Amino acid sequence: MSTPAIVVQNLVKTFDVRGRPIHAVDDLTFSVQQGSIFGLLGPNGAGKTTTLRIMTTLTRPSGGRVEVLGYDVVKAPLEVRRRIGVVIQEQAADLLLNVRDNLLTFARFHGAAGAAVRARADRVMAQFGIDDVADRKVQDLSGGVRRRVQVAKMFMVDVPIVFLDEFSSGMDAILKRSVMGLLRAQAAGGRTIVLTTQILTEAEELCDDILIINHGRRVAHGSLAELKQLVGRLHEVTIVFDRVPDALQSIAAGYGADRVTVLHNTVQLQLSDEESRVLDLVAALGRHARVQHVEIAGASLEDVFVQLTQKAEAPR
Amino acid sequence: MTTRALDAVLVREAKIRATNSLFIFWDLLYPLGYLLVFGIGVNASLGFTSGLPGVDYNAFFLAGVLGMASFGIASNTSWSFFLDRDNGIFYEMLTYPMRRSEYLLGKVLFNELVGLVQALLTIALAAALLHVPVRVDRLPLLAAATLVGTAGWFFFYAIFALRIRRNDAFNTVTSVFYFVFLFASSMFYPLDPLPRAFRLAALANPITWQIDVLRYATIGVGDTLRITIESAAFLVFTAASFAVAIHALQDTD
Repeated sequence: MSTPAIVVQNLVKTFDVRGRPIHAVDDLTFSVQQGSIFGLLGPNGAGKTTTLRIMTTLTRPSGGRVEVLGYDVVKAPLEVRRRIGVVIQEQAADLLLNVRDNLLTFARFHGAAGAAVRARADRVMAQFGIDDVADRKVQDLSGGVRRRVQVAKMFMVDVPIVFLDEFSSGMDAILKRSVMGLLRAQAAGGRTIVLTTQILTEAEELCDDILIINHGRRVAHGSLAELKQLVGRLHEVTIVFDRVPDALQSIAAGYGADRVTVLHNTVQLQLSDEESRVLDLVAALGRHARVQHVEIAGASLEDVFVQLTQKAEAPR
Repeated sequence: MTTRALDAVLVREAKIRATNSLFIFWDLLYPLGYLLVFGIGVNASLGFTSGLPGVDYNAFFLAGVLGMASFGIASNTSWSFFLDRDNGIFYEMLTYPMRRSEYLLGKVLFNELVGLVQALLTIALAAALLHVPVRVDRLPLLAAATLVGTAGWFFFYAIFALRIRRNDAFNTVTSVFYFVFLFASSMFYPLDPLPRAFRLAALANPITWQIDVLRYATIGVGDTLRITIESAAFLVFTAASFAVAIHALQDTD
């Protein structure tokens, strides 16, 4: 296994709010492998952004240790900053500068200037669909375009690690898909991507490795497959009937279904049980109405997320 | 300290300022406007004199407008932290490969250049239009006093701009500073005839130190020993403000 790109050990961040200590991050330990897409997930206020701010030298930890490519974020912040690009959660752009100058200025901070960089800016602007507004001031553009400019900057330099905090907010579906493709290509080329997102399908599609946190603590960590194993017996069942069986609710209750939703002739059930019991349930329902279509799927990341974070919410 | 980071911040500041050429034009010429309005107005209409032998009010006030100009540039530059914060770019920039000290220095460098051009333009036009007897041999001292003065006031204001999160609160602070610092100083009048308490307050005011040096550099008025002490005091003020501003920038939680 290669050396991790990021090592976080026993990280603690405490804020003092009106004399009361608030533990935003509470003894968090994890590592991020080089060339991977790492997803940091958690509900609002879980401590994702604070963790990201510490990893990117924006905030000092109260305790523990964070190393980025072997450099301590507190002792060698400049070395860390030389190796990272960061898209913060808020929109961030030089509004008085035009789109091209936003990209060129960012590159200049990373020591890149000249004709090659200008050519790269042209390519990046075309990739992000902002080449037609290259010479317009960012303040005259919409929020979505500003977000594109912000994310596009990360593709102006070849830093080994990119942090993206809710990168897709304000992006339309087509651009988001295109950026996700770019991120996958960057990771395949050896770049490490660390992202936080509220949109779990994004994480499901992109991330090689996922850390779920809540109340600043680790809830679960692993690949998507490993996380799904944690809620292993969870099944999502979709059945299309010619008509919805009258006894649906009682039959589903008899099999201990967690959730039953009905839309026209389509019934969706969630069941935490053995696969054979799931098939028995479908057969039982099939005796009351004709089944036109059946789909049985394992847990989605959303199911995993909800189950694990709710478990973590339960009083200790 | 890397020149790459300083160069990047300086170019960014220059590009932002260059988006409004009227602003730069005003920056360069407004001290002269003050000199013409106050100098000619007070000198000719009200018949005020500087109280110093052989020095008319235009000549006396020249150092005052130069000090006021560097004070104003510093205040405007520190206000740009609010602009950066509103645009979100402030926090993103703190993740760029530069030290906090480079961010501060780079931000003031371009404005130092504006301040220097402004000072040279003002004294050239003051000499040509108002016949102020400018000491050309002391131009290097004038340049140093302008550069250090602008930096010192910028670092001082930056402390407040970084600590105060509300734009309106910062504007109130700068308005109070303008009033206190500018009027309790040797900017508009000589200190000797002032009441003792007023005079003591003015002598403890860093802008008095800067203006006395500027006055010594422009028209040669002032005692060399006192100017040396005031120069040293202003350097200490600048260094202390720089250190506190860096601390404020590091403490951005």
